[in-house]
Amino acid sequence: MGQVILGVGDYGASNNPTDDVKTFALGSCVSVILLDPKTKTVGMAHVALPDSSINKAKAAEKPGYFADTAIPALLAEMTKYGCHKKGKGMVVKLCGGANVMDTNDTFQIGKRNALAIKKILWAHGMGAIAEDLGENFSRTVTISVGAGQVTLSSPGRPNWQL
Amino acid sequence: MKTISHDELKKIVKSSPMLSVSASRLLQLTSDPDHDLMDVVNLVKTDANLTARVLKLVNSAAFGLINEITSIDRAISYLGERFIVSIALGDCVGKVFEKKLVGYEAAAGDLWKHDLRTAIAAREVVVQGEMEISPDLAFTAGLLHDIGKALISDYLKDSAPEAIELITSHDSVDYLDAEEKLIGFDHTQAGFELAKAWQLPEKLAEVIRYHHSPAEASEAFRPLVYAVHLGDNIAMMGGFGTGSDSMRYRLDANYTDYITLTPNTLASIMLTVDSEFDKLEQSVASTGEDKG
Ligand SMILES: [Fe+2]
Ligand SMILES: [Fe+2]
Repeated sequence: MGQVILGVGDYGASNNPTDDVKTFALGSCVSVILLDPKTKTVGMAHVALPDSSINKAKAAEKPGYFADTAIPALLAEMTKYGCHKKGKGMVVKLCGGANVMDTNDTFQIGKRNALAIKKILWAHGMGAIAEDLGENFSRTVTISVGAGQVTLSSPGRPNWQL
Repeated sequence: MKTISHDELKKIVKSSPMLSVSASRLLQLTSDPDHDLMDVVNLVKTDANLTARVLKLVNSAAFGLINEITSIDRAISYLGERFIVSIALGDCVGKVFEKKLVGYEAAAGDLWKHDLRTAIAAREVVVQGEMEISPDLAFTAGLLHDIGKALISDYLKDSAPEAIELITSHDSVDYLDAEEKLIGFDHTQAGFELAKAWQLPEKLAEVIRYHHSPAEASEAFRPLVYAVHLGDNIAMMGGFGTGSDSMRYRLDANYTDYITLTPNTLASIMLTVDSEFDKLEQSVASTGEDKG
């Protein structure tokens, strides 16, 4: 069984049914999960910030880092697996985007990430069928490519499915 | 769950590793706003082991220098104070930082990574938030802020689900409160005891004690405590907490009395933390293979 581990700002995909696609400890970051039932491909991006205009050089080097560059990059990556280039037929799931307690507007990066991602998905005619966003805990995500099952975990809590 | 008495806590502190003479003097010196880099150089020179470490680090692959640096003066001015403090602390009390925090369900090394992220973030908050305090001091304070977790973690063993239950049921307002309910102490109180035993400068001890409640710090140290408070939250938001307690603390939005941050500045700080962390973690780790 292989593991595709994605760090902050990474994106990737797999169609190997024995693989897990995994990302650790999403704080305010959001994981965008694209499941393509037709090709049995799983793609994920670990998005850290909502908007790439703040640092174009970083966006060029790591498009997965920003919501606006991550989704096009992930869709393009998934075409290598025979997926539709505009994500037609894909199932979208979102998780992460936590905020610390009593946060003020400035520190609501988790919320801004989630909003930016949803906006871009809409622009692509896509929308999430399941989401586990916000609140105040960190999430680790594991997707089994074969079963297309998304499992979330957080220290001190039992695991749950998305 | 068994609570720790104050006497027991004193015993735990006593059995913890102590600071080396040079680490202790380095913290004293660098907390003094009037010091300069030459003072740091002179101090490092009195410690042959530390000198060797610093030279090894500056010439390590992480920095990719073409010409070897053989003079300690040049090495220190190249690296800057924060690297020297990191090495000196890692040398004598690295064990404390590397400890596996079982009580928080965190892996060995998670505390050090969280501290390093907090340190970098606190420094960036000072620089990008245009504060008038020393960025390097904010870094040092960030490194030390959660030292109390290493002391109480074993006593919190298996309690993470309980702590989370206390918070989700609103019996505890945050993880700190849950710690106190479970074992009678929170990690800031435990850390403060260690700070006293280590004879840390008052401002660093206050950061350890009040990093989750910065408004309670002495007025003179409050800007520093707020900088670390934000640094800590930024580290957790970036996915580098210490396990079960991550994000389960309150942000004191009155930081705005001391620090000006726009959403864009905050985003830029988070970007800097990511890139600086990779550099720093690699380089500090590269000197630490025989860490005791
Ligand atoms: Fe803390
Ligand atoms: Fe912390």
